[in-house]
Amino acid sequence: MDPLTLAIWSFPVLLVLILLRLPIGLAMLVVGLFGSWQIYGSASPLLNQLKNLAYGQFSTHSLSIVPLFLLMGQFATLGGMSQALFKAAEAFIGHRRGGVGMAAIGACAGFGSICGSSLATAATMGQVALPELKRAGYSGALSSGLLAAGGTLGILIPPSIVLVIYAILAEQNIAKMFAAAFVPGILAALGYMLVINLYVRFSPGSAGQIEPMPWRERWQALAAVWPVLLIFGVVIGGIYSGVFTPTEGAAVGAVATGLLAWQRRGLSKERLREAFESTANGTAMVFMIVLGAAAYNTFMALSQMPQELAGWVGDQGFGPYTVLWAILLFYLVFGCVMDSLSMILLTIPIFFPMVSGLDFGLTPEETAIWFGILVLIVVEVGLITPPVGMNLFVIQSMAPDIRIRDTYRGVLPFVASDLTRVVFLVAFPAVTLFVLRL
Amino acid sequence: MTRLIYGLSRAMAWFGALVLSGLAVLSVVSIAGRALSGMGLGPVPGDFELVEAGTALAVFCFLPWAHLKRSHAMVDLFWRAYPPAMQRGLEIITDGLMLAVWLLLVWRMGVSLLDYRSNGEVTFILQFPVWWGYAASMLPASVGCLAYAWRLLESLGLAKPPAGFERAAAAH
Repeated sequence: MDPLTLAIWSFPVLLVLILLRLPIGLAMLVVGLFGSWQIYGSASPLLNQLKNLAYGQFSTHSLSIVPLFLLMGQFATLGGMSQALFKAAEAFIGHRRGGVGMAAIGACAGFGSICGSSLATAATMGQVALPELKRAGYSGALSSGLLAAGGTLGILIPPSIVLVIYAILAEQNIAKMFAAAFVPGILAALGYMLVINLYVRFSPGSAGQIEPMPWRERWQALAAVWPVLLIFGVVIGGIYSGVFTPTEGAAVGAVATGLLAWQRRGLSKERLREAFESTANGTAMVFMIVLGAAAYNTFMALSQMPQELAGWVGDQGFGPYTVLWAILLFYLVFGCVMDSLSMILLTIPIFFPMVSGLDFGLTPEETAIWFGILVLIVVEVGLITPPVGMNLFVIQSMAPDIRIRDTYRGVLPFVASDLTRVVFLVAFPAVTLFVLRL
Repeated sequence: MTRLIYGLSRAMAWFGALVLSGLAVLSVVSIAGRALSGMGLGPVPGDFELVEAGTALAVFCFLPWAHLKRSHAMVDLFWRAYPPAMQRGLEIITDGLMLAVWLLLVWRMGVSLLDYRSNGEVTFILQFPVWWGYAASMLPASVGCLAYAWRLLESLGLAKPPAGFERAAAAH
C-alpha cells in the first residue's frame, strides 16, 4: 500500500479501535507504530525511533506545565476556594431571579482563573453548589446542566491545559494565547448567566431565590476571595509580562495554591493522598495520549498526508470561511464521542497547516491565535454534549438522584449559548484579538 | 503478589506527585533567585534540566496506577451493547496490547540508556550524564510492565484485584 492510502485507511481503523473502548492513547500508539513500520518497510528505523519516544515526550520541557497545572487545580480544590467564591457570588446576586445559579457560574469562572482543567472545576464546584442549588429550589435538570456548563469555564478561562497543548502544537506564544482567551472566557460566563435568566423566565418553577444579605456580610464574603485574585494576578500577570515562563508560572501557581490549602488546613493526610492520586491519574491520562499522538503524528508526517490534504484543499478554491466552518463542525460532531485533548493532538497537525494557508485578512499569528480560541470553544462543547460529555458524567456521579435524561435536557440551552458564541467570534475576530493589538 | 503490585503502583503515584511538588518548589526558588540577582543571588543552575528529567520520572511513576485504575481516556459509548464474551475479549486485547507496547518501549529505552552511557553525553548546564535521567525513569517504567502484566492476568481470569479496589468511574 502506498503511504497516502495507508494514512487515509488509518482513520477508520483508529476510530473503530476507539469505539471498541481501547484507551485512546493506546489506539493511536498502536496504529501509529504499525503505520510507520509499513512505510519504513523494515523494523530497524522504527526501533531506532522508539529509543527516545517515551522518555523524549515525557521530558519535553513545555509539557511539564501540564502536571503542574493539574497539581495547582488539586491544591486549589483543597484550599476551599470554590466554597468562598460561591458564597461571595451568592451574597451579591443570590436573591435575584436565577441568582443562585448565576452565582454558581460566577464561582466557576473564578475557580477557572486558578485552575486549568475543566473536570476539576466541574467536580469541585459541583460538590459546593449542588446542595445549595437544591436548597434554593432549583430543578435537577437546571442545576446539573448549569454546573456541567460552568465546569467548562475551567479551560475557557486561562490558565487552560487544552490551550497550552494547542500553543505547543501550533508553535504559538502561550502568554498571548492566554490573553486572547480571556475576553471569550468572560463572554462564555455571561452567556451562561443569560441562559439561566431566560430559563428561569420561561420556566419559573425550576428555580427559587434566597433572602437578600445585608451589605456588611456581602463585603465580608467578597473579602474572603482575595487569594484567588492574588494567585490569578501573579500567575497570569507573571506569564504575560514575561517575568517567568509559562511552566514556571504553573509552578508558582502550584506552590501558591499549596500554601493556601495548607494555611486553610485543607492538607489532611487523607485529602493530600487523594489530591496526589488525582494528579497522578490526570497526568498519566494526558501523557498516554501525548505519547500515542506523537507516534501517530510521526506516521502522518511520514505519509505526507497533512501536506497533501492542505494542498488539495488549496486547489479546490474553497473560501476560507467554508474551510473554517467545516473544521469547526468536524470538532463539534467528533466532540460528541471523542475526548478533547486527543482530538486536538490528532487533528491540529493536520488542520493547522490548512488554516494558516487561508486568508482571513489577519496576520499569520493572529489567524493562529484566533483559530486556537475557536477550536478551544468547539472542543469544550464536546465536554457537555450528550452522549459522551465528561462534565455531564462528573456532575451525574455527584447527584445520582438527578436522571441522566434531565441532565441532557438541562444542558442543551447552554450548548446553544456556546454555539451562538462561536458564530459571534467567527464573525468578529477583533473580539478575540483586540487585547493583543492594544 | 496482588498486594505488592497494587501497593507499589500506588506508592509510586504518591512519590511521583511528591517529585512534582518538589519541582514546583525548585522553580519558585529559581525565580526568586533570578529576581534577586542584584543581591548576589541567582537562579538555580540547570533548573530547566531538572524539571525535564523530574517530569519524565513523575509521569513514569503515574502510568501504572492510572492503568490499574482504568483512568485512561476511552470511549464507552457502545460498551454496554457488546455481549459479555466480546467485552472479555476486548479487555484481554487491551491489556495485552498495553503490555506488548510497553515492553517494546522499555526495551528500547534500555538500549538508549546503554547508548548514552557508552557515549558519555552530559546535559548542557549541570553536566550530569544523560543516562541518569533514563536510569531513574527505567525503574518505574519496568514496574509499569509488571502492573500491565498483572492486569492482563486479571482479564484472563487468572488473578483478582484486591478486595475493595475501586476503578475510576468508567465514563471517559
